[in-house]
Amino acid sequence: MLEIKNLHAKVDGDMILRGVDLEIPQGEVHAIMGPNGSGKSTLSYVLAGKDDYEITEGSIVWNGQDLSELEVDERVAAGFFLAMQYPVEIPGVGTMNFLRSAMNAVRKARGEDELNAAETMRIVREKAEALNIPLDMLKRPLNVGFSGGEKKRMEILQMSLLSPTLCVLDETDSGLDIDALRIVSDGVNAMRGPDKAILVITHYQRLLEYIVPDKVHVLSKGRIVRSGGKELALELEKSGYAEYGEDEAA
Amino acid sequence: MNIMTDRKTTAAEDALVERFDGVASSLPGANVDWVRKMRETAMAQFKALGLPDRRVEQWKYSDLRAKMREAHETRVESDAISESDIYDVLGVDLDEMLSYRLVVADGVFDKELSNIDGAEGKFEVTSLAETLNDPPAWFEEKFGKVNPQKNEAVLALNTAFMSDGVVIRVADGAELDRPVHLIMVTGSTKPGLVTTRNFVHVGEGAKLTLMESFSARRTPDMQRNCVTEMVVGDNAVVEHVKYQNEGRMAIHVASWLTELGQGADYNAFEFAIGGAMARHQNFLRFNGEHASAALSGAMMLWDNQHVDATTVVNHDAPNCQSRELFKCVLDDKSRGVVQGKVIVAKEAQKTDGHQMARSLMLSETAEFDSKPELEIYADDVLCGHGTTSGELDENLLFYLMARGIPEKKATALLVNAFIDEAIENVRNETIREAFLLRSADWLGEARG
Ligand SMILES: Nc1ncnc2c1ncn2[C@@H]1O[C@H](COP(=O)(O)OP(=O)(O)O)[C@@H](O)[C@H]1O
Ligand SMILES: [Mg+2]
Repeated sequence: MLEIKNLHAKVDGDMILRGVDLEIPQGEVHAIMGPNGSGKSTLSYVLAGKDDYEITEGSIVWNGQDLSELEVDERVAAGFFLAMQYPVEIPGVGTMNFLRSAMNAVRKARGEDELNAAETMRIVREKAEALNIPLDMLKRPLNVGFSGGEKKRMEILQMSLLSPTLCVLDETDSGLDIDALRIVSDGVNAMRGPDKAILVITHYQRLLEYIVPDKVHVLSKGRIVRSGGKELALELEKSGYAEYGEDEAA
Repeated sequence: MNIMTDRKTTAAEDALVERFDGVASSLPGANVDWVRKMRETAMAQFKALGLPDRRVEQWKYSDLRAKMREAHETRVESDAISESDIYDVLGVDLDEMLSYRLVVADGVFDKELSNIDGAEGKFEVTSLAETLNDPPAWFEEKFGKVNPQKNEAVLALNTAFMSDGVVIRVADGAELDRPVHLIMVTGSTKPGLVTTRNFVHVGEGAKLTLMESFSARRTPDMQRNCVTEMVVGDNAVVEHVKYQNEGRMAIHVASWLTELGQGADYNAFEFAIGGAMARHQNFLRFNGEHASAALSGAMMLWDNQHVDATTVVNHDAPNCQSRELFKCVLDDKSRGVVQGKVIVAKEAQKTDGHQMARSLMLSETAEFDSKPELEIYADDVLCGHGTTSGELDENLLFYLMARGIPEKKATALLVNAFIDEAIENVRNETIREAFLLRSADWLGEARG
């Protein structure tokens, strides 16, 4: 179970999260929706442990473990994974080399045997195929020159390779066409399981037709202001976020 | 220019001047008129110039005079160096690299440790000392005259004191099947001053990879002045690589004086990770049309290391191309200096020259100085330069760590991504892979 209690966090001196309360039991998928600027990405970075995101109050506990005490990489070893809204390009770091470093770092931290190059290649190929990621992409520097959709698929590939138990997906749907959306959603749905908790952050209801959530929450001005079942997403789609502090155009 | 008269000389300068009178008669070539005169002229020039300090424009970032207060004992004899010492300083990959091996141990060419089996018909090697004592006509004609530089005190000092080195003559059209590896090592653990001079003549259309490896790991407190003169014949293809892995207290000054013939293709690369104060000077001159040259280097420094890469490229002929890329990774209080001067003569139309210097700063106390200079006298040229200096990108570091990669490994990945772009310029695969391995290990060693 993920338990976020009264979470307050500052970025560059500005209080962005103002008391987030959220519980996601294992086996469930929750969605956070909300207007631009409401703090959705901030919440995801605070969960990941990014520098400059300072927790001033509250707690984040995953299966009894206080995540906020851990370094960024240690959280990943503990089962956390964040698929980022804006994956970065890293020139000079080959994708395959990167994937192997990540997989082995996590395996090592979890006390598992490291993989050799051939084993890595076999596992990566298999998962990449399912996500419709051409092998050619794996030979290029990480994310360099990838389209928005390719980057998002690469995030999901990494997620499936690192076997997380707590997944946060920040606007993974943005920049995806319908086919890509279906592929990515299949990838996420494949991650569902009795020991997994998944948090899907999105601005639009569309994604939630493919990844059907158990609960939907609305984040506004750094707090969860409403929670409900999956029908809440449809309601928001119709009414917009105007009443949550942002105009329709955003 | 006479600097010595208007300032107090240092102990090092006094010792060098005094020492010359003592050793001149025993240095190689003492019985050969022109050699003796060449040394005397050089010494007179050194007397006038003194060691270069920051008042000399080209040395303003690298004050050799201040760093070299004393001159160590001149090392002209070889202390016992064994195969395993060489293995230790090179590492298994470079030691086992298939090559023609030439070893200069403590300033003396060591025939026993050298091996050029199979060179017949392709190239010849003699020691510099031998050659100076009995110089053939072709050598007299060229030696000391390759891309000469005015008022360079360290070159003058080298000419005055050069004790040994190698003379390599590659036959016209010869294609060497493996690199010539010139290994300059020291055996004694006592501080010493080593002055080495190499002369390389590459015949027309020949193909050569020459690697110079320096290590004074056994002699941490080494002072080295090494010069390599190289004539690259018309249409010859030369790769000239340097591996500078001197001891942690070493002062290392190396100068390459190179002239390129028409249609020549020259690729120079320096990988510098050693030395307390090291400067590599690359003087390159285009003598014929349609030649191209790439000068690049990777420097990885920590602690108090000060490493300087200075290039002076003279485009004297039209239609030539030069490319420069120098990258520095600087940690702790280290200092990296990249100076690049490109001089395009009036007749060198259609010159295409570009230089780039980049640094990655791993600490707030590190320093990077870059000085690009263009002197263009022709009107139809394409020349440019650029410099960048940046820190590790926190967003990239976060991304890697958010994939479970610990900070140290994530930093190493980014450092390598940065520096390997320069190392990729090495054409010889064995050498390139060896440098990539060392760059991958570097951060672990620097950060302990
Ligand atoms: N690095 C930052 N420095 C300062 N303010 C930031 C930073 N990142 C985000 N913010 C601010 O925090 C608020 C929430 O942003 P964000 O979490 O990205 O919203 P969302 O993902 O919901 O669109 C916005 O007002 C934004 O301007
Ligand atoms: Mg966002």
